[in-house]
Amino acid sequence: MLRLFNILAVVLLITSAVYAYTIKYQTAYRYEQIAKTKIEIKAERDAIAVLRAEWAYMTRPERLQQLADQYLPELASLQVPQIVTVTSIPERAAHGDAIAGKLDAMGLGAGESSATDITGSIPKTAPKSAAKPDPALSTASTRKRQKP
Amino acid sequence: MMHESRDPLHDPAAPATTPAQKPAAWQGLMRDMFSTGIDKSPSRMRIAALGFFALYGLVCGKLIYLGFRPDPGTGQHAAAKAVSASRPDILDRNGEVLASDVKVMSVFAEPRKLIDKDEATELLTAVLPDVNALELRNRLATKKGFVWVKREVTPHQRDEVFHLGLPGVGLIAENKRVYPNGPIGAHVLGFANIDNAGIAGIEKYIDGQGLADLHTMGFAATPEDLKPINLSLDIRATHALRDELNKGVEHFKAKAGAAAIMDVNTGEVIALASLPDYDPNKPTDALDPLHINRMNVGVYEMGSTFKALTIAMALDSGKINLNSQLDARGALSFGRFKIHDYHAQNRALTVPEVFTYSSNIGTARMAMGQGVEKHKTFLRKMGQLSRMRTELPESAEPLYPKNWSELNTMTIAFGHGLAVAPLQAMMAVGALMNGGYLMTPTFIKRSEADARRSAEQVIKPETSEAMRYLMRLNAEIGTAKKVDIDGYFVGGKTGTAEKVIGGRYSKNRLFTTFMAVAPADQPKYLFLTIMDEPQGLPETGGYATAAYNSGHVTGEIIQRVGPILGLAPRFDPPHQPFPLLAKLGYGMANAPATGGHGH
Repeated sequence: MLRLFNILAVVLLITSAVYAYTIKYQTAYRYEQIAKTKIEIKAERDAIAVLRAEWAYMTRPERLQQLADQYLPELASLQVPQIVTVTSIPERAAHGDAIAGKLDAMGLGAGESSATDITGSIPKTAPKSAAKPDPALSTASTRKRQKP
Repeated sequence: MMHESRDPLHDPAAPATTPAQKPAAWQGLMRDMFSTGIDKSPSRMRIAALGFFALYGLVCGKLIYLGFRPDPGTGQHAAAKAVSASRPDILDRNGEVLASDVKVMSVFAEPRKLIDKDEATELLTAVLPDVNALELRNRLATKKGFVWVKREVTPHQRDEVFHLGLPGVGLIAENKRVYPNGPIGAHVLGFANIDNAGIAGIEKYIDGQGLADLHTMGFAATPEDLKPINLSLDIRATHALRDELNKGVEHFKAKAGAAAIMDVNTGEVIALASLPDYDPNKPTDALDPLHINRMNVGVYEMGSTFKALTIAMALDSGKINLNSQLDARGALSFGRFKIHDYHAQNRALTVPEVFTYSSNIGTARMAMGQGVEKHKTFLRKMGQLSRMRTELPESAEPLYPKNWSELNTMTIAFGHGLAVAPLQAMMAVGALMNGGYLMTPTFIKRSEADARRSAEQVIKPETSEAMRYLMRLNAEIGTAKKVDIDGYFVGGKTGTAEKVIGGRYSKNRLFTTFMAVAPADQPKYLFLTIMDEPQGLPETGGYATAAYNSGHVTGEIIQRVGPILGLAPRFDPPHQPFPLLAKLGYGMANAPATGGHGH
């Protein structure tokens, strides 16, 4: 009984010693890692500072103006009359879909239901008139109809 | 104590020490020391204890001595003290970098650790050719713990020094201040020296804000602790302003020129340029007296621009109103002096006419109507008689006559006889425009609320509106037509002063100023351009007065800078730009101006 206890104690001792040893070395390792990372962070920060300064140097207005004068001779500086308010911009003239126009001319016109506005999206009224809830479906069906 | 009595030296029973007995006593002592008799033990013990005590005392003493001795310091430690400290970044109002620190390597040596100084000198000068060998040898010969060999070396030189592997020679990273925009905004930024201490401009101001104290106390601030400083400057607007000014100065062959834009509601200086200028990356250039900041450091007679102040004073006192008539028939005589008008009309002029014809006689009469004391008090209230202090350490005291006579009041009324810094005049005109709040111009970004808190109401809002009306009228039909840029509703005033050469006003050496406000109904920006001795050109009909040069440049600046500053042009003139005046019964202020006089 006593012997077993002794053995147990010795094993426990050795285990705890090994554990303490590992912990200690892990800590040292971590410390080293932290120190290394700190140095890396510092180097990165310095690099960022240099890059920021360089960016500011490369994009300084004086240089940009020089480059613009050199490579964009057709561009002049902004004149006041070029600035207009949003309301003074005329509505864009409704221009027809060129392909649809050709199709119409050929007598293959899909009619009103496939008419799209200038952004190419399907007008809200289109599905209603086609009595179909899904605009995607409606275009698919019109295309099918155009096929023959 | 018993054993002590047996000590033969002190034993009273021992025979008296006669000269003959001395050797015998000595022998006795020696015998006592080295005999192995048990009775001799205590004295030996004592001797040994004393010996050990002395030994340990020595060790302790040395330890204490070492502890108290000042730390000789390693080279790295001394170097850390000597390197240039970090400075906060300086940004413009939109966050563009105006000044920043970059890391560079510097070479230092610790003479006490150098083994062969001659060899070190030889090797170092071979790698760093621009270091004077003799001087370096002398520096290394000192007994100092730390000396610089060369600061700010190139990466290639750094590697070469490293590969020399000299003991006692080291490398350390330092901060170097860089100004990526070069001369743009240089006069505001100032510069820092090789130790990264602020020498001029905002850089010096930053040091005054506690950074320098921090450094001397040994807290080397890391870049992360330092919050960047946002200036009021807009670097793009500053560039555009400088570019237009540069064109103007070259075109009109002026000796020098300066221009600035101020936000009248916050007192922020949005752009400032003074030509000729310098690159803060080469600080030696800044010392050239030609390169001073003419906006802040030079004092000039502002000429007719000052008439705005005189008229505002007269209107604010209530003694005259916009409809008052002033006698401008013929020259105004005072003693042996005669005051003439440049655009003489030889009739009675209303107040708006006095302004648009820039009548010296009319303004002189207005100032006389107030009297010398009131005139002085008003100018003092407007901050024109004392040194204006902004964040910039450089400033100038205004020049004015010590004995201020009636004649002085008459001439100062139209801007002759009182010399102020142009930025100071901007402060006063800004107050005339913004509703009457006098605010010291600032170079640090601030909000309108902050500016209002420290501002003092110097004139009534109605007077301010009347002044804006006059400025606008002057741009429509008066001397400031050059700045009537469509859409910006600009108001302006010219000023041409004759320079004093050898104590006399010179007819052909002019100093021209131009002050403009945009938009005149809701004032936002105040523009000032000054030019030193611009020349008349064939296309200006040989005239070199303000409207042709400074006025022209200001017009160009407004056109170019307007979109950058987000000043929206309006193509329908404001319906009722001056509501207060309309309420006071000056309906004409809101109607389009008629008549076509003035230049």
